[in-house]
Amino acid sequence: MKAFRHQGAIAGVCSLAAGVTLAAGMTLLAVLLVQARGVLDFGFLLGAPSRFAAQAGVGPALAGTLWLTLLTAALACPVGVGAAVYFEEYAPRTRATRAIESAITTLAGVPPVVFGVAGLALFARGLGLGPTVLAGGLTLAMLALPTVLATSKEAIRQVPSGVRTAAYALGATRWEVIRRQVLPAAAPAIVTGVTLALARTAGAAAPLLVIGAASFINYAPGTPGDPLTALPTQVFAWSARSQPGFAAVAASAAVVLLALLLLLHLVSLALRRRLSKAAR
Amino acid sequence: MSAPGSGPGPSPRPSPADAPRDAPPARAPVFSLGDLSVHFGGRPALSGVSLDIPRGRIVALIGPSGCGKTTLLRALNRMNELIPGARTTGSVRFDGAELYRPETDPVEVRRRVGMVFQEAALFPGSVFDNVAFGPRASGFRGDLHALAEEVLTAAGMWADLGQDPDVPAASLSAGQRQRVCIARALAVRPQVLLLDEPTSALDATATARIESLVHSLLPRLTVVLATNDLRLAARSSSVTAYVDRGELVEYGPTETLFTNPSDERTESYLTGRVR
Repeated sequence: MKAFRHQGAIAGVCSLAAGVTLAAGMTLLAVLLVQARGVLDFGFLLGAPSRFAAQAGVGPALAGTLWLTLLTAALACPVGVGAAVYFEEYAPRTRATRAIESAITTLAGVPPVVFGVAGLALFARGLGLGPTVLAGGLTLAMLALPTVLATSKEAIRQVPSGVRTAAYALGATRWEVIRRQVLPAAAPAIVTGVTLALARTAGAAAPLLVIGAASFINYAPGTPGDPLTALPTQVFAWSARSQPGFAAVAASAAVVLLALLLLLHLVSLALRRRLSKAAR
Repeated sequence: MSAPGSGPGPSPRPSPADAPRDAPPARAPVFSLGDLSVHFGGRPALSGVSLDIPRGRIVALIGPSGCGKTTLLRALNRMNELIPGARTTGSVRFDGAELYRPETDPVEVRRRVGMVFQEAALFPGSVFDNVAFGPRASGFRGDLHALAEEVLTAAGMWADLGQDPDVPAASLSAGQRQRVCIARALAVRPQVLLLDEPTSALDATATARIESLVHSLLPRLTVVLATNDLRLAARSSSVTAYVDRGELVEYGPTETLFTNPSDERTESYLTGRVR
């Protein structure tokens, strides 16, 4: 009887914790939406930043973030998944391999601002790219890489060994086994990992600020060589302004960023559905 | 069972060719093993096995769990080397050519020596996807659908599937799954089929279907069957090897080995299990 009551108490505490989490999320969203009221419209989505809160728009920053996300995905996915395939399927199981693997896993926990400092030295200055979209994309790709690698490795490891053995026994080469069995089976979980990594990088302001993201660019970046601007840095810049009206503008830009992340998750969900249907 | 020691002792390279019942004298053995040993991380799993495997027959490998049956089976298509730390010494001649020469491609070996496992590990997707995997991997350019129909018919699955190979593999029963595994192996057109405990997860009816299916593959194929099912081994094989603690204890015509084993260990294994 006592044990039974104990169970009830644990369930109660846990459901309370779940309720608090949900309430915190809802409150955050509600505060943003209330603040953004009256600002968020098509003109805001497409317009350029302005000294006047009433005329400010998020267009260039939105385009910048889309560019950055695209570049990050294009750079981090092939490298991250490729490295994961190497570590799981090719690399000899030596102490050196394990050391390298755990070093890379540790990188996944390094704060984004540190990647910004490295990106500034390496890409913006070292390669002479300056504060451009390309320099930002390369930096964010570095930030995303450890996460993509770690989650892809885990996804590949989850593929049942019986599938590999059966494929080898049918006279498949290692590459055929990887290409036709391992990767298709791991694909849904890899997509999840890539989505998490992209969500993390799309919302990162610190590394882009270090590289030198601009907050007043009145045209949308059309090529990776254009000056760097992005939603999170724009939110940061507007939040720092004291003039009336900019709080609402910053909140509106934050809502746009959230909507973009929601869209990313929806695309990922649809992709995952398709991939796991194909792999069933 | 008969008294121990009544048969002749195992010769250094026991060959079933000695037995008239199993002796097509002109035909060379498919496999010829000489002093074959396999170690995993320094621990011996198989030591000094020498035997000949006759062509077009079913050869049964029996012995207690963990005795090295599977290791012996996997040595015949170079599957052991996929396990890190595995080391194979000695000689395996397949159709007269040494299997363990460095220039021999293990992928090519596995295309000629197919294998079916205890757990019917089907690939995700349809039955057709499963059957087409091997031919696709080896660059097959012909009509995959015709090939699928042929091997699924051979495996007695074509009717079960209602002539539709696009059925999801996951929807099949355990016995059907194992027959798809055999069809999948046949699609690569091997000369030898290695079966590792193919019926241990199956009921008597499903086992009987697998058994008659395997018989229907002879004499075009040679089958090596590792099994704990002594009745299956006794019924289906013409030659049987008894393996214990990584050693080949006895090898000879199935009837002789089962009714008149020459080694005490064979007899105690057979009587301990059969009674």
